[in-house]
Amino acid sequence: MTTATPNAALAALADIQRGFQSSGYIASDAIATCVYIAQALAKPILVEGPPGVGKTELANATAKLLDKPLIRLQCYEGLDESKALYEWKYGKQLLYTQVLKEKLGDLMQGAQGLKESIARLHEFDDTFFNEEFLEPRPLLKALWAPQGAVLLIDEIDKSDQEFEAFLLELLQDYQISIPEIGTVKAKHPPVVFLTSNNTREIGDALKRRCLHLYIPFPDAKLEQRIIESRVPALEAGLRTQLVAFVQSLRGLDLKKVPAVSETIDWARTLLLLHAAELEPTLVRQTLNVLLKFQDDIEHVDAEVPALTRQAAKNA
Amino acid sequence: MTQVLSNFIKALRASDVRVSTAESIDAAAALELVGFEHRTLIKEALGQVLAKTPDDKSRFNDCFERFFTFEALSGDDALAGEQGGDDAQREGAAGDDAGQGGSGGGGAGGLAAMLERGDGAALQQALASAARNVQLQNIRLFTQRGMYIRRILEDMGIEPLDDFLFALLKANDDDPRALKLKEQKARLIENVAELVDRQMLMYTANAWPKLREEVLQKTPLARIEMRDFKVMQELVRKLAKRLVSLHSRRRHVSKRGQLDVRHTIRKNIEYDGLLFETVWKRVRVDRPKVIAVCDVSGSVAQVARFLLLFLYSVAEVLPKVRAFAFSSHLGEVTQLFETKPVEDAVIETVNTYGMGSTDYGGALAELERLTLADIDQRTTVIILGDARSNYGDAGERSLRRIHERARRVLWLNPEPMAFWNSGDSEMQKLGAACDKVESCRSLKHLERVVSEIARTAI
Repeated sequence: MTTATPNAALAALADIQRGFQSSGYIASDAIATCVYIAQALAKPILVEGPPGVGKTELANATAKLLDKPLIRLQCYEGLDESKALYEWKYGKQLLYTQVLKEKLGDLMQGAQGLKESIARLHEFDDTFFNEEFLEPRPLLKALWAPQGAVLLIDEIDKSDQEFEAFLLELLQDYQISIPEIGTVKAKHPPVVFLTSNNTREIGDALKRRCLHLYIPFPDAKLEQRIIESRVPALEAGLRTQLVAFVQSLRGLDLKKVPAVSETIDWARTLLLLHAAELEPTLVRQTLNVLLKFQDDIEHVDAEVPALTRQAAKNA
Repeated sequence: MTQVLSNFIKALRASDVRVSTAESIDAAAALELVGFEHRTLIKEALGQVLAKTPDDKSRFNDCFERFFTFEALSGDDALAGEQGGDDAQREGAAGDDAGQGGSGGGGAGGLAAMLERGDGAALQQALASAARNVQLQNIRLFTQRGMYIRRILEDMGIEPLDDFLFALLKANDDDPRALKLKEQKARLIENVAELVDRQMLMYTANAWPKLREEVLQKTPLARIEMRDFKVMQELVRKLAKRLVSLHSRRRHVSKRGQLDVRHTIRKNIEYDGLLFETVWKRVRVDRPKVIAVCDVSGSVAQVARFLLLFLYSVAEVLPKVRAFAFSSHLGEVTQLFETKPVEDAVIETVNTYGMGSTDYGGALAELERLTLADIDQRTTVIILGDARSNYGDAGERSLRRIHERARRVLWLNPEPMAFWNSGDSEMQKLGAACDKVESCRSLKHLERVVSEIARTAI
């Protein structure tokens, strides 16, 4: 078998993880493996997971790691190719026709009859529909990027099914078809991330073309490392308490459990308030940073002392 | 290695993870990339390539753990323990003996030697290669278990071993070496059986539920047993999901507009025919209103239960469903279904309205009184019942008045068609006041009916 030695793979993984860490993104083994495979096989990655676990951030970190520009396309209902792919510069084309009109007399000078005039017109190229008049949108930009790029197609589940189908060509061959011009193929295939919050089921055809990465909530150890890298000023003791508290919150029956981004916000809040350790009153006052529904806050409020005690014990 | 991978994919498919050919190619590429040394790495890599939903992921994890178990043969320790120092010399001799004695040549002697040496690793390898040779991955039914055990043993060379053993015992009835070998052979057989069982579990774990689901879909609903209800509910949900995705997609497509030339010209006459205002073709968004009327007396209650479950499971494409239940009197249960989980609502409905003998005349009259004002040309009325009115008024006049106003009236009868119009069945009278009369006995029928209704829900 012509494989690279497994140690090479491991080394590459370690490299990726180190690279991510230097830009402040702590990647689990699964994430690093996925990025490694995606690069080697030139496959897009479909990232799923609860909101706020760093799906979008992963694309950012990858762009930094590879030192390539990040091109982002935010999906929403009604997004179509004229906003995602390209648009003709109508104004410029209109201007061009005006110029052409003036010049037409010169061009046609000496032509005998209609037939000859048309023949002469045909000698010119199709000047209206070429790349000159093309206004690239994110997808085309990603294909045109001279050094390659990291393309983030954010919240693909928010777009229509038609748009999903339209992406297939891009994801499979890194090329797109523009009817007036032909196919545009990427010189350097971009690294593509698609993120989804699962508000609707993504089609099988799309899934088949992607690697599927599911990012769950991190475990306590990983979350501590994340906080450490994001809020380095926070004292270690408080950090473990805080993470333990958030982890236990995720076990409760809440409308929306706090995600990593909320833990980071909370850590920053506590830092701002110069907190030395978690205590019930402090937690109650800052609970709105973690929980985004009044129902949840009321539900947790009663249990704050117990949870705080437990977090202090676990830490 | 590709053989192992394709076996693994086979096992994955057996446990209901959908893997396409393109994905298996990707898997092979990914595997080549990460190498075969690190188990967790392989697991991550394959997981990302092959399993693409959270459900699939958990199934993948199970399957991976089961497929790539490298547990040592049980009894190895015991074997190793018995190997005393003095046995060591005998081993070589045994190997030689077997080599000469085994009529089958090296293979036979090999097995005997391996057993006597207690060489767990070699045995494990032999077992694995034998399993591969007999294509154990093709096992499908538990009745094949014995056959595969036998074949594996044969492939490992049990016959020459038996001959060798027989020769030893013939020479000396209680040769300690033969007795020990016999014991080890028994242990080997046990190990093979275990392996076959494990494989069977992996490749066929999902075959039974699948078969069961298939059968349940065709079983008359009235005859479904209590213990199958959970599976049935799951099944209804599955079918409903399919219908929703099928029909919601179509609605989506047909919403798109095109320029309506005829109407544009017509509209712009007032601007002296200058095409100034455009008119776009539009597909009328037609959400049918459904009125479901269910007989919940003893005989029909089961079918009613599943019809209601079905109708409320496709709420995405049929948002306006009013439900009525009756046996001796009729009442609306829409509220119940909107506030409670469907399963609970169904049970409560049957408990509240299920008592008493059916009175179609009264029920249909009541239905007319309650709903006639609400019925219009978009309303589909579904009536589920056996039309057995206990020789009372059939209520066909009320039904005819409903029919006149409704878009259509469907009558679903859970009895086979041969039983209609026999005894107190008033199917002929009532059927005349309907657009369509169908026998509806199993989940398959129900699916067809609901799909038919949803089809008009463009």
